Amino acid sequence: MNTNGNAYTVIYSTIIVVLVAAILAYASMALKPKQDANAKAETISQMLTAAQFYSKEECSSMGNDKVLEAYSKNIKSAFAINAQGQKIRDLSTDVNKIELIDNLKAQDNNIRGKKDVELPVYIFTKDGKDVTVVPCYGAGLWGPIWGYLAFSQDDKTFVGAYFDHASETPGLGAKIKDDPSFRAEFVGKAADYNASPIFSIVKGGAPKDQQNAIDAITGATMTSKGLSAAIDTWLAAYKPYLSNNGSAPAMTSAQPADTTAAPADTADIK
Amino acid sequence: MNANLKETILNPIFKGNPITVLVLGICSSLAVTVEMKGALVMALSVTIVTGLSSFVLSLLRNTIPNRVRIIVQLVVVALMVILVDQVLKAYAYGIDKQLSVYIGLIITNCIVMGRIEAFALGNKPIPSLLDGLANGVGYGLILIVVSFFRELFGSGTLFGLRIIPESFYAAGYMNNGLVILPPMALILIGCIIWIQRGIQKDLQEK
Amino acid sequence: MEYLNLFIKSIFVDNMIFAYFLGMCSYLAVSKNVKTASGLGLAVIFVLFVTLPINYLLNKYVLLPGALSWLGDSFKDVDLSFLSFIIFIAVIAAITQLVEMVVEKFAPALYASLGIYLPLIAVNCAILGGSLFMQNKDFVNVGESAVYALGSGIGWFLAIVTLAAIREKMQYSNVPPALKGIGITFITVGLMAMAFMTFMGISL
Repeated sequence: MNTNGNAYTVIYSTIIVVLVAAILAYASMALKPKQDANAKAETISQMLTAAQFYSKEECSSMGNDKVLEAYSKNIKSAFAINAQGQKIRDLSTDVNKIELIDNLKAQDNNIRGKKDVELPVYIFTKDGKDVTVVPCYGAGLWGPIWGYLAFSQDDKTFVGAYFDHASETPGLGAKIKDDPSFRAEFVGKAADYNASPIFSIVKGGAPKDQQNAIDAITGATMTSKGLSAAIDTWLAAYKPYLSNNGSAPAMTSAQPADTTAAPADTADIK
Repeated sequence: MNANLKETILNPIFKGNPITVLVLGICSSLAVTVEMKGALVMALSVTIVTGLSSFVLSLLRNTIPNRVRIIVQLVVVALMVILVDQVLKAYAYGIDKQLSVYIGLIITNCIVMGRIEAFALGNKPIPSLLDGLANGVGYGLILIVVSFFRELFGSGTLFGLRIIPESFYAAGYMNNGLVILPPMALILIGCIIWIQRGIQKDLQEK
Repeated sequence: MEYLNLFIKSIFVDNMIFAYFLGMCSYLAVSKNVKTASGLGLAVIFVLFVTLPINYLLNKYVLLPGALSWLGDSFKDVDLSFLSFIIFIAVIAAITQLVEMVVEKFAPALYASLGIYLPLIAVNCAILGGSLFMQNKDFVNVGESAVYALGSGIGWFLAIVTLAAIREKMQYSNVPPALKGIGITFITVGLMAMAFMTFMGISL
């Protein structure tokens, strides 16, 4: 057979391309639901870890279905807000069709570009109290970093945080994800919406009495700096909502209007 | 024939190792040797891709039009890589995220194309499959050795389990931060080559 | 300023060779003398600069989930991202072929010096790696992807030319026999990578 003719070459290439496209389309369609479920469960377990419902290890051993169940059991409400802090739409929390806003990258571009945003707010109920979880996103040393910040009822005091990264240096920058003691530093600290930055990660150690700062990771200056900027940028975007304790947008009625319940030491910085 | 087959399998693992002797496929994959888990998955993925694409292209070897040879090879290799990537995304999500773009880079890993050109296009499917698999294993071996040292000395763990006891750290032992950074992977491979060529004098360059 | 920052960063900090080991095979094989090394280096800059913006546009308007929405609402949910590897490599192979033909026809002198490297480049990890990293980074427009391509290419060029220069000199050094050739080259590259790490954290 002459394998060098024009017609043969064209027909051969066409067959190969069609065949490959068919195999890929089939594989992609067959595996897509599973991949999407993985991604969703991953995002949810990061939120659950941030809000201190489970540890990271517990989440990964639970399996996708249990994670989704845990989410819809503990969530009180989930909705999206705009740049003015007003609620624009509800997100479904039903276990079979949980809706998340996880295009953080696009939202981050919008925040920086001062364009229209659709920022998610997730309010969980833990021990009878509200825990508000919001995401953050930014650039680390090698690639993007992102995470979830969990606030207590006053929307200022951290009850926890969880971070993830695409390609930070293992053992150094990757500690934002792997080192529980770094995440534990957030607990009890508070954002100060009147200050700039609202919250910061300080190289060489934060002053002990400063409420809105924690220590950077030793040897991971750039990652810490990136994370600090990510948290500050995103909290600034959430400021209209969070600084009013969720009461500014009229539609969230469940929040107590007064903030006196907040721990006294979060009120200001000396 | 049997001796031949045995040679096909054993040669790439030590004497004709794709990394240390043929110097193929160092490309991207060194970046995943900071932790053993990632290195192991990468090694498996490369082995599967090299084996299967060698097999498929060996089956097709008499039908491929010469003018589009390279493109056909790339398409078949890319097909295998995408399948591996999709399966990992569905069943080993965390690891796929860790390997990120490096899975895609298997397409241009010189081992895969190198073995297809050098072996699969001139041999029957079964020996080609074995040749591909064996080269993948020889390649994986180096990845695993490198990642063993990098994880042990860089993080004090193996497969994420703590090996160097906490009491060492209490006594002032510290992880070697340099081992985790990219340059040490290259230097480690240099040392592996040094040792291998010290043993096998016939491989030394003049 | 953004562009300058990205440019400097992609040359020195995110250096394709020293930080990501991309394009190592040809890097080690073609770095024995400065002349051929600079030829290959130039070819890499050129091909990266041409393919990366094309792949950026393809990624943005064809491959990403929802990228096809410009075709109409019914295409809003189409997600072709599983095809990205194959599309990228096809674009790269086709472009190198095209570039080779164009250069041969219109610039024979350039072809004589670059020509032999162009086919090699289709399977150079640095080129595909550039496109895959581009997919991972948040470039907001084609300009950024072009700057990134140029910076990465120059970084690669710099790395291969300096290594070739060192290897030329090293021929006269007394290296242990088992380390001669490729062994000492690996260690040299490791040391060069360490030197490049001093640029880490640079921010303009």
